Amino acid sequence: MEKITDKLTGESLYYKKHESGLSVYIMPRKGYSSSYAIFGTKYGSVDSEFVVPGENEITKVPDGIAHYLEHKMFDQPDGSNVFDKFSKYGGEANAFTSFNMTAYLFSATGHFYENLETLMDYVQSPYFTAESVQKEQGIIGQEIRMYDDNAPWRLFFNFLGLLYHNNPVKIDIAGTVESIAKIDEKLLYKCYNTFYNLSNMTLFVTGDLDVEKTLEVIEKNIKDNKPFTEEIKRIYPDEPKTVAGKFKEQSISVATPMFMIGWKDNDVGYSGKKLLKKAIEMDILTEMLFGKGSKLYNELYKEGLITQNFSFEYAPQTDYAYTEVDGESKNPRAVYDKITSYIDTLLKTGLSRDDFERIKKVTWGDYIRSYNNIEGYAHNFLTMSFMNINYFDYFDEYSAITFEDIEKRFCQQFNNDMCVMSVIKPE
Amino acid sequence: MLKVININDNIVLNYIPMEKLKTTSVSLYIHRELNREEASYNALLPHVLKRGCKICGTSEEIEHYLENLYGAVFSAGIAKRGNDHLLCFDGETITDKYAPDGEQLTGGLLKLMLSVVFDGLDEFDEESFLQERANSVTKINNIINDKRIYANYRCQEEMAKGDKYEIPRLGYADKMKKITREELYGYYRKIIVGSPIDIYVCGEADINELEAQIRSFVSHLEFTPASLPENNILKSSSHVKNITERLNVTQGKLSMGFLTGIKPTDHDYFGLLVGNAIFGGGAQSKLFNNVREKLSLAYYAGSFTDKYKGFLMVNAGIEFKNFETAYKEIMVQLEEMKKGNITELEFNSSKEFLINSLNSTYDSQQGLISFFLNEKIGRTGRNIEDYKKGITAVTVQDVVDAMKKAELNTVYFLAGKEEE
Repeated sequence: MEKITDKLTGESLYYKKHESGLSVYIMPRKGYSSSYAIFGTKYGSVDSEFVVPGENEITKVPDGIAHYLEHKMFDQPDGSNVFDKFSKYGGEANAFTSFNMTAYLFSATGHFYENLETLMDYVQSPYFTAESVQKEQGIIGQEIRMYDDNAPWRLFFNFLGLLYHNNPVKIDIAGTVESIAKIDEKLLYKCYNTFYNLSNMTLFVTGDLDVEKTLEVIEKNIKDNKPFTEEIKRIYPDEPKTVAGKFKEQSISVATPMFMIGWKDNDVGYSGKKLLKKAIEMDILTEMLFGKGSKLYNELYKEGLITQNFSFEYAPQTDYAYTEVDGESKNPRAVYDKITSYIDTLLKTGLSRDDFERIKKVTWGDYIRSYNNIEGYAHNFLTMSFMNINYFDYFDEYSAITFEDIEKRFCQQFNNDMCVMSVIKPE
Repeated sequence: MLKVININDNIVLNYIPMEKLKTTSVSLYIHRELNREEASYNALLPHVLKRGCKICGTSEEIEHYLENLYGAVFSAGIAKRGNDHLLCFDGETITDKYAPDGEQLTGGLLKLMLSVVFDGLDEFDEESFLQERANSVTKINNIINDKRIYANYRCQEEMAKGDKYEIPRLGYADKMKKITREELYGYYRKIIVGSPIDIYVCGEADINELEAQIRSFVSHLEFTPASLPENNILKSSSHVKNITERLNVTQGKLSMGFLTGIKPTDHDYFGLLVGNAIFGGGAQSKLFNNVREKLSLAYYAGSFTDKYKGFLMVNAGIEFKNFETAYKEIMVQLEEMKKGNITELEFNSSKEFLINSLNSTYDSQQGLISFFLNEKIGRTGRNIEDYKKGITAVTVQDVVDAMKKAELNTVYFLAGKEEE
């Protein structure tokens, strides 16, 4: 295995590309009681149109199928229940589907190898029948309904609907009650055989474990797989550079209006180190602009326009990206006006170098802190690796960032024509 | 693993050494007994205190101070554990050895926290006070925003009618609105010297130096004796309360409250913990497997227990029309528990589940701090290993004995407005 060591923290990571195509990462962490494994595929809710390697025609599948498939992976050919197997060994298992990945995971404080074998076995054992697929409609239908009442979730998807004309990120991860009704076992097998080919998957394990023994267990549990020799071609509709709408409001039974304001980033279409650098720059920049120590936050707070329930994020992906700021306010329009005029003023007067120096320290602390939670770390690492980013490059990229880089990024990212606002108001 | 240092009769410094993480956590808790008159003051005070102190006069200065500590985290809030209404100050910083220029980050964070708590300004700033008071009212009104939390909150409130525990964690909006800046300041001066205070440090720190820092901060204050609030468990009533509330929601939320009468120091307590895990605590549980997996009635269905008040609560997200079916199925599963119809797999895996989560507490500083704080409030004197031993020793009969004590007290259902 290839070994990489982080200069700053001294932590090491072992990597191997197995002949099945599977990427394997092992990260030993001394002293931890829990171990954690995450087995993920680069396949999320946005991947509903693609060309299977070796085929010519385009396959189009119903929205919500990646998430549906995740649910159905828990059914086993022998009728057994995957959770029971994990439970027997004290493993806490879970799975999730996001826009860009599907992942299966467990954490355990004992019986690590048995739990790991269980994880690897079930994810490589699809078993779908017409009846079992039908049964899931009810559970997922409830899940979709649960999100219908979830104000933050509606706020977010209305926001994405404003930013994007066509990008499938604007579609709910679970799909709709109508779209999932079209899912059958044949479609599930088609998606499974495409995206769960091991060459499209990564396994990351971490905890206080023995690297060689872990690798041995992993290799023994890899099932027959013929790796793809070419990439899965993913087809995303053309996305205009403009925003699809500027404002959307929905009524839900909440007490205080909620807002999400954001900017569409059109500097997309690349991954790897270049994307990592942009992501770190944007972390620094957004903290400078919107952080609790910023002039903007303190003015909004003092004017009673926002509460402590205020956060912001830059979401970097290869094919889309945006900055968002969200919170609650009795007057979201006033928050919007204040933020956009603050940005306009700063674009004229320039950013503060002192702020930059201080916030660069914050980013350093955040990086060190990211090693604490091994589950969060593994999750983060996997997300990055699907964007061809090696998280261990973080420190080099971070160190090279200058105030001038941040200034340039600021001018590029914050165009108020690209700024939208989604609001949830009380009924 | 816990080192206890008495600073004076009121203040205790608790140190939990831990080297595997790259951070050190510092928390300070002021214990107040839940009380109708004081609850709103308690909920407001931490936020007003965090607006400025002798070393950082404004919130902006506080934030810049934290940013210079490489993004140290510092938050203020309010918690409720049994009859204990806790004013909370939680902080975390990267451990000193990761500071590039040898800065004393933990010491710096503690200094800020002590200044905020003990060394407040001579009066509260009027503008800051009014903002925090308005925000505290907003927080009370916002309880309705998350319907799942709201349903549990309402069920607990109904179940605790007549007990101190019915006093809401965030206080009362009408009382909150009337608090004046002078009243709050007077209250602050009174409680800062008249309440038990626990300070926890978890991570790598020079504890002697931190102790000295605390002593110097409080040496000029005159303390009056104070003790931790007493606990009492909820008493059962003669009839079951059925409550249906209607809001414009598309999914119904069912919360069912059961009283067990079991105290954390009782022998039955471990049986209750294992029983709850089998009944509704996770993916190996009866509720998950029957209400969700077998009958497809819910996306989530589970249960939890409260250590201090002896209740067990079931919650599920269901379609309105499935209310009766879900309710019946939950009661059927509880009967199964009481009859001892528990498979070996359910029994063993639920114990594993509990032991696994206890073990993982060792990987989290906030987890460890909470654990020791909770045991102190519950007066159990137990550590994590005691829990593991207690859980391992539980028999099926222990589970049956504990679950037999669970009596249905309140059924709360949040339904939609459009229902026929």
